[in-house]
Amino acid sequence: MNRRDFFKFGFGGAGLAVGGGLASGADNSPSSPGRSVYSHPSWVKMISRPKLAVDDNVYSRFNARNNIFGSFTRYYGEENRKELMKESRNRTMEYYLEKRPGYRLEDRALADAAWVISRLGGLNRGTRAWTSKSVRSPEQRGVEKYTGSPEETARLIKAAARYFGAATVGITILDRRHIHSQERGKQIVFEKADEPYEDEKKLVIPDKCKYAIALSVQMSLDNLQCSPTAISSAGSSMGYSRCEFLVAGLAQFIRGLGYVAIPSVNDLGSSVAIGVDAGLGELGRTNRLITPEFGPSVRLCKVLTDLPLATDKPIDFGLLEFCKICKRCAEACPSNCISFDDQPSFRVKGEWNNPGHQAWFEDAPKCFAYWQKSTSGCSICIPVCPWAKKDKTMIHEIVKAASAKIPALDIFFNTMDEAFGYGRQKDADKWWSLNLPEYGIDTTQGKG
Amino acid sequence: MAEKEKFLVVKIRKSTWFIWAMRVIWVLWLLFWAEFMVGSWKEFERRAFVISLIVLLLSLAVGSFLWLWGYLKHKKA
Repeated sequence: MNRRDFFKFGFGGAGLAVGGGLASGADNSPSSPGRSVYSHPSWVKMISRPKLAVDDNVYSRFNARNNIFGSFTRYYGEENRKELMKESRNRTMEYYLEKRPGYRLEDRALADAAWVISRLGGLNRGTRAWTSKSVRSPEQRGVEKYTGSPEETARLIKAAARYFGAATVGITILDRRHIHSQERGKQIVFEKADEPYEDEKKLVIPDKCKYAIALSVQMSLDNLQCSPTAISSAGSSMGYSRCEFLVAGLAQFIRGLGYVAIPSVNDLGSSVAIGVDAGLGELGRTNRLITPEFGPSVRLCKVLTDLPLATDKPIDFGLLEFCKICKRCAEACPSNCISFDDQPSFRVKGEWNNPGHQAWFEDAPKCFAYWQKSTSGCSICIPVCPWAKKDKTMIHEIVKAASAKIPALDIFFNTMDEAFGYGRQKDADKWWSLNLPEYGIDTTQGKG
Repeated sequence: MAEKEKFLVVKIRKSTWFIWAMRVIWVLWLLFWAEFMVGSWKEFERRAFVISLIVLLLSLAVGSFLWLWGYLKHKKA
């Protein structure tokens, strides 16, 4: 009996009433046969709409140029940016010379090397190209394109996604408002077309691409716990590289079945919004997706397709209530960019936020400026989250299940989490001596 | 010959259901902390490992002491 079954049957029949109650209270009915390949823990509830509200009169497509990477200079000021970069360069050299753990040549080289696959793709470029000449289509094989029920197809897609490295997979009907209006200086438009294409002015997504496959990839907590160092940065960049491989492989698989597939990582649209709709997780205080299995320790990516698929539902695992009282990420954030508000709201912090939905909006320029100051990026908010756990002991599953069902215990759980030392920064020097599994992650985690 | 000289009399004290329940709870408590300790070690969570180890050892010591104390008390009686 594995740990998930143990919980499903009420803590192995040990007679702990609380366990039985927690397990049996969950709506664990399969929402699609795809769930036979992947399902959330039994204490995760399926709901019809995401818990945080969307104002349909305001929420619209976001111009990617306004994100922090595209407009940092505009938000921070040209002079301030120059000063910041100078400070960052000086500090980088200072850390090199003093051989500070986590900032030495080997640490930086590791972080850079972990990006290597990610750099093979971009919006409709390289591994993220919207069409492929190398795929063997059903036509070339002399057969009809794949036909199966949406449920059966969802099962295939989820199995293939897992095979290509997805930690969790969800499917949703694409809400076009999640897709950027412009990116790379071009309009992104939906048109009646057989294949996606790009010309000098626009990127065209065929109208028939109605489905979005939301995918998460685990990041190594052992790396992220060393944040803010290059070791932590390597955890993040490795996540991106694995996303790259995942979306490229899955898109090619779908094309091989005879359908359109548009692979995407952070480009094209909001992976977080699509992930929430597809039931990968909930929106947390960091304004990022938090999953029940890995907390925020995931990278997200997606594939848009016209392949008919059974869809999943958004989920509720008590995160909203937990984030209201926890605030550990906001307290730990060295740039003070995460909101301390008790409640999520519609009030954005600046142009970098897409308005029209409830969230704890972040002060992105402060965050990005700290990335430069630290010289190696930052992901402190990820390992301090009490939902980011390695799952090697039963207590984490008990606490998560109890928190999902009894929000009154959240304060106690948060206090205990801190008291037991979770979320503390680890010594980057010791990372090199850890006997880590492949990619630094436990690929069996959260799989039941 | 007196009965006393003929037989060796062995007295076995019957534990109450409450004592048995406490023993079961104690064992489960120890197992819980032992599992937590091993898991924390695997997770490289040093502080959680140390706390769970201390709680485990304390629980073991307190439980053993109570058992010994009860044993000696009944032996005297």
